[in-house]
Amino acid sequence: MAVSSRLSGDDKELVIRIDERFDFSLHQQFRDTYNSITIRDLTYTLDLSQTEYMDSSALGMILLLKDHVELYAGKLIISRPSETVRKILEIAQFQRLMTIE
Amino acid sequence: MSHMKNTMYLSCVLSLLIWVNYFFIHQEIIFVLLFSVLFILLVVLTSQISKFISSSIEPKNGDTMSVVDNELIHSVIFELQQFIHQEVTIVENELQRTKVIVSDAVTGISDSFKHLQSLSEDQQQMIKLLISHSSSMGDDNNSSLDSFVTDSNKTLDDFVGVIINTSKQSLETMIYTDEMVIQFDSIFKLLSQVEGLASQTNLLALNAAIEAARAGEAGRGFAVVANEVRNLSVGSTELNEDIRTEINKAKEIIAKLRNSVEIMASADMTSTLEAKDKMSVMMSHVEQVNIQTTTSVEELAIIAPQITNAVSLGVRSLQFEDLTRQSLESLQVNVSSLHEISDVLATFDKQPNIAIHQQLIKLKETCQQVYRETQQAEDSRSVKQLNMDEGEIDLF
Repeated sequence: MAVSSRLSGDDKELVIRIDERFDFSLHQQFRDTYNSITIRDLTYTLDLSQTEYMDSSALGMILLLKDHVELYAGKLIISRPSETVRKILEIAQFQRLMTIE
Repeated sequence: MSHMKNTMYLSCVLSLLIWVNYFFIHQEIIFVLLFSVLFILLVVLTSQISKFISSSIEPKNGDTMSVVDNELIHSVIFELQQFIHQEVTIVENELQRTKVIVSDAVTGISDSFKHLQSLSEDQQQMIKLLISHSSSMGDDNNSSLDSFVTDSNKTLDDFVGVIINTSKQSLETMIYTDEMVIQFDSIFKLLSQVEGLASQTNLLALNAAIEAARAGEAGRGFAVVANEVRNLSVGSTELNEDIRTEINKAKEIIAKLRNSVEIMASADMTSTLEAKDKMSVMMSHVEQVNIQTTTSVEELAIIAPQITNAVSLGVRSLQFEDLTRQSLESLQVNVSSLHEISDVLATFDKQPNIAIHQQLIKLKETCQQVYRETQQAEDSRSVKQLNMDEGEIDLF
C-alpha cells in the first residue's frame, strides 16, 4: 500500500508513511489516514524517507493535512525527506510552515 | 783678449811683490809704488772688461735675430688662430645642432605626453560609461541586473506559491466533488425507492382494473381511473429513468471534472526545481560580476591618478630642455668669447706693420676682458640654474 499510517499506543503520535511516489492518485488514501482522527495535541509525523517523487498535489495534500492539524491544535513534522524531496519542500518554503527533520 | 790676460797676470805679479815686500822687505815706498801700479792696472782691466762685455752682448741682440722671431710668432699665431677658429666653428655648429635636436625631441615628447593623457582620460570615461551601462538596465527605475535576478527569484517563489495553492484548492474541490458523488449515490437510492413506489402503484392500478372489470358496468368508471393511475405510474417510471439518465450524465461530467482537477493539482515540480537551481547559479554569478566590477572600478580609480602623475612627472622632466638650452646658450657665449680671442689673433697677420708689443698688449687686454665677462656670466648662471625637481610647472 502506497500510504500507511500507525497511531502510537498512547495516542500521542500519528506516523503517516508514503512510498516512492507521492502524487494525486494518493489523495483519497492520504486524506483517509487523518480525516477521521480528532484527537487534540497530537503529533503528526509524515515519514518521507521512502519517497522519491513528489509533485505539487503532494504539497497541496501536505497543506490540507496542516489545516487539519491546526484545527485540532496538533503539530506537524516532516521526517527524513530525500535530497530531491527536501529541495522541493524548500522551494515551496515549507520549512517556514512546519518542522522538517 | 790677450791684453786683458797680460794685465791680469801683471796684477797678480804686482800683488805677489806687495806680499813679498810686506813680509820680507818692509819698504814703505815700494809698497806704495806697487800698490799704485796695481790700482792703475785694475782700473784699466775693469774698463777693458766692461768694454768686452758690452761688445759681446750687443751683436747677439742684433736686427737679424729680431726679424726671425717675429715671423715665427706671426706664423705660430696664425696657425693658432686657424686652429682655434676651426675648432670653435665646429663646436658652435654642434651646439646649434644639439639645440635643434633637443628642442624637436622635447616638443615631440611633450605632444605625445599630452596625447597620452587625453587618451587616458577618454579611456577612463569610456570605462565609466561601460560600467554604468552594464550595472543598470537603462530604464528609469534604476534597476540593475542584480535586482532583476532578485525580482525573478521572487517571481519564481510566488509562482511556486500559486501552484501549491492551486493544488490545495483543487484537492479541496476534489473533496467536495467526492461528497457530491456520494450525494448523487443517495439520490439514486431515493430514485430506486420512487421506482419501487411506481411499480407498486402500477400493480395496484392493474389490480384495480381487474376488480373494475369484474364489477362490470358498475366498475366502468373506476376502470378508467385505474387505467389513468396506471398511466401515471408508467409516466413516473419513465420520469425516473430520465432522471437516472441525467444524473448519470452528471456523473460522467463529474468524472471529467475529476480529471481536470487532477491535472490542475498535479504540476510537476522538476522544471521548477531546475529553474530554481539556475536562478541560484545566476544569483551567485551576478554577485561575482558585481564584486569584480566594483574591484575593477576601484583599481581604475587608483590607476587613473597614477597615469596623470606619471604624465605630469614626464612633463616636468621635460624642463631639462629649458636647462639644457640655457647651458647650450651659455656655451655659445663661451664659444663667442673664443671667437673674440681668435679675431684678435687674426689681426696679427692682417696688420704686420703694427708693433708686436702693442698687439700682444691688446691680446692680453682682450683676454682679461673676456675672462672677466665669462666670470660674470658664470656667476649669474650658477644663480639661475635650478634643480629640476624644484620646478613645479604643470603644463595642463
